[in-house]
Amino acid sequence: MARHNLGTVVSFEVRRTLTRKWFWLTTLIVPIAFGVVIAMAISANETTASQAEAQKNALFTFVYTDDSGYVDPAVVAAFGGAEAADAAQAIADVQSGRIDAYFAYPADPVNQPTQVYGVDEGVFENGKYSAVARQILVVSAQQAAGDATLAALLQGSAPMISTAYKDGRVSGGVNEVIAPMIFLVIFYVVIILLGNQMSTSLLEEKENRVTEMILTTLDPTTLVIGKVVSLFIAGITQIVVFAIPVVAGYLFFRDALQIPSIDLSGLVLAPEPMIVGALLLTGGFMLFTTTLVAISAVMPTVRDAGQIVAPLMILIFVPFYIVSMVVSDPHAAVVQIFTYFPYSAPVTAMMRNAFGSLSPAEAIVVIVELFALGTLMLRLAVRLYRYGSIEYSRKVSLKAALARRDTAGVAGGNGSGGPGGAGGPGGSGGTEPGTGGGRGARGAGAR
Amino acid sequence: MSASSSQPIVHIRNFRMNFDGTAVIRDLSFDIERGETFGFLGSNGCGKTTTLRALLGIYLPTSGTLHINGRPFRPEDGGRLGYLPEERGLYKKEPVIDVMTYFGRLKGLSKQAAAAWSLQYLKRVALQDKAHLRVDKLSGGEQQKVQLGVTIMNAPELLILDEPTKGFDPVNRRLLMDIIEEQKQAGATVLMVTHQMEEVERLCDRVLLLKDGVAEAYGTVPEVQEQYGGTTARLKYSGEIPGSASYRVLLRERNYAELAIADGADEAVILRDLVNAGVMVRSFVTGRPSLDEIFVRVYGEQSGDADTAEGHGGHASASAGRSGGDPHGAA
Repeated sequence: MARHNLGTVVSFEVRRTLTRKWFWLTTLIVPIAFGVVIAMAISANETTASQAEAQKNALFTFVYTDDSGYVDPAVVAAFGGAEAADAAQAIADVQSGRIDAYFAYPADPVNQPTQVYGVDEGVFENGKYSAVARQILVVSAQQAAGDATLAALLQGSAPMISTAYKDGRVSGGVNEVIAPMIFLVIFYVVIILLGNQMSTSLLEEKENRVTEMILTTLDPTTLVIGKVVSLFIAGITQIVVFAIPVVAGYLFFRDALQIPSIDLSGLVLAPEPMIVGALLLTGGFMLFTTTLVAISAVMPTVRDAGQIVAPLMILIFVPFYIVSMVVSDPHAAVVQIFTYFPYSAPVTAMMRNAFGSLSPAEAIVVIVELFALGTLMLRLAVRLYRYGSIEYSRKVSLKAALARRDTAGVAGGNGSGGPGGAGGPGGSGGTEPGTGGGRGARGAGAR
Repeated sequence: MSASSSQPIVHIRNFRMNFDGTAVIRDLSFDIERGETFGFLGSNGCGKTTTLRALLGIYLPTSGTLHINGRPFRPEDGGRLGYLPEERGLYKKEPVIDVMTYFGRLKGLSKQAAAAWSLQYLKRVALQDKAHLRVDKLSGGEQQKVQLGVTIMNAPELLILDEPTKGFDPVNRRLLMDIIEEQKQAGATVLMVTHQMEEVERLCDRVLLLKDGVAEAYGTVPEVQEQYGGTTARLKYSGEIPGSASYRVLLRERNYAELAIADGADEAVILRDLVNAGVMVRSFVTGRPSLDEIFVRVYGEQSGDADTAEGHGGHASASAGRSGGDPHGAA
């Protein structure tokens, strides 16, 4: 059912959010930081590549001794080295600078370390001695094997493809995890970025004393829903802005950033986890935002609300302390608790959904729980908002607010003469603003 | 807001409001006819704002009927309502024109119509150059002008003004009075809560004095003056005014006093007695009491400690309505 003035509220809230400088400052910090990282990574890669090339081509004089018998003198010769007659003399020659390096290969180079002596050329440059000493061993081993395939196997270069079956069908593996995990990322981004904004937005009418005027043109439920919807739109806008540099980085700087090529055709978009993920995201968003509305409704200022909002924000990170258990042992008691506790449920359930350990029955229970509590919290939030929105300078008494009755007769028409609310909050007798008097806002069923 | 010329635009019957089990408004009844300017008067904390909020559906009444245009108020009917609450403000971080356009749209105007009306109003109050500034960049007086503009958008059929001149500088007070006059000329009904009695005498057709949750007096300004009585003598003098059963001293200042003359007392005899008592009377004029005097007489004993009473159950005991008036009668 269309709500009177909902479209007007949404367009006003979206427009003013998207035209604020701070919104774009905070939104653009991420892509700008990402751009800086890309630039640094490209620069670092070019430097590393040139250094590696220089090291590879760098010529230095060295000698070696080999107690293992695996080192091929021809390979050493190709690297420009020669066998040393005496180890102690070789070390002395390195110390005096007559030669650049000396490698002492032990009898068992797998279990015993090869001693590398070199003239100091700086922390990074000194790495070339070990690199050459190791390469001599590897190439010598390949020569000894005499077979390129065998040599590759010896180096562990053997590609594997594994196929797992789940409920009689081939499981998508990691490819199946990625798509549902996106819902979790969206949840985090939206809640973290917009949580504080939600409080600010909802307290704005109260702090600016606009509430009373605005409530003569629209219902408080409409105002609350309008703000939640507009902030969700702002959150999606932020996600799109964040995604742009990520996509650009993948498409245009993949090699420079050494991003592994992702075969998108391999992504598994199984309907069930995607639907469950979307419902968990929606239910979780609903529960958290309506909770933020309720908090904002009872607090007189953003600062006061922040004291309660901060712990709520921390709750969405708590499941990460048990992430390994969520993956390896989803039936552990603590995982079960986190799955069903309302404020840790969205994150835990979304993780389990992505990893395939959330059964359909568990998913239904959590989704129903989130939507039911979200709906209840919305009703409570609207009740508190309409009750507390004209409490300009003090906290609303929850006890007094909840003690009031919804009176449909009064809602439909206060001409019914039916009994209205009982007590107002806090004060004891005053009736004008700021006088300490109790007051009763119209019941939640007023419209 | 639908209009029906035969019924009062505001109709309140047996309105009762309890807070914490204490009645702060008790069986309040009154009507406001279309086109009239109605003064809703009372001391701080007597329930005026509570009544307005209940009338506008912001508060839930304990019992009674509160109708605007024949039915309880709903936000959908707010397009032709101009409400200036006592606690008022604007979206401070938004441009003036955006705020005004937003309120215009909430009142049912199109975006273009709301913006056009707003620019025209801003030009009238010499703020056209500040239309695109943020509200918090305006001075307090300029913000008050914007607030007034928002209130009278979309040609309100009913203007509800809760202490409209509170915090206004003299320039904006004059602007407000002009606007009220204009709206009256245009056919608007005005319900005004104020403590400025001279404004009431100048603007209001009828008044209601609310005291301790009941109507203390209700009627036209002359009717209320008549109800309170009697005659007041204003005298300029030197000396010491003696006590007398023929009068009660309402106001005593240096060389000036106002006396409420008792029923049946002879004004000439009072003057003679004052002279005989050694008072040097330079001027002795009698007439009806002003609304200001009536207000002091009605609320004088409680207004001084009103703020204290408000926070400590000041409404716990409400006095009965004054018998002289017709607080529960129709208009």
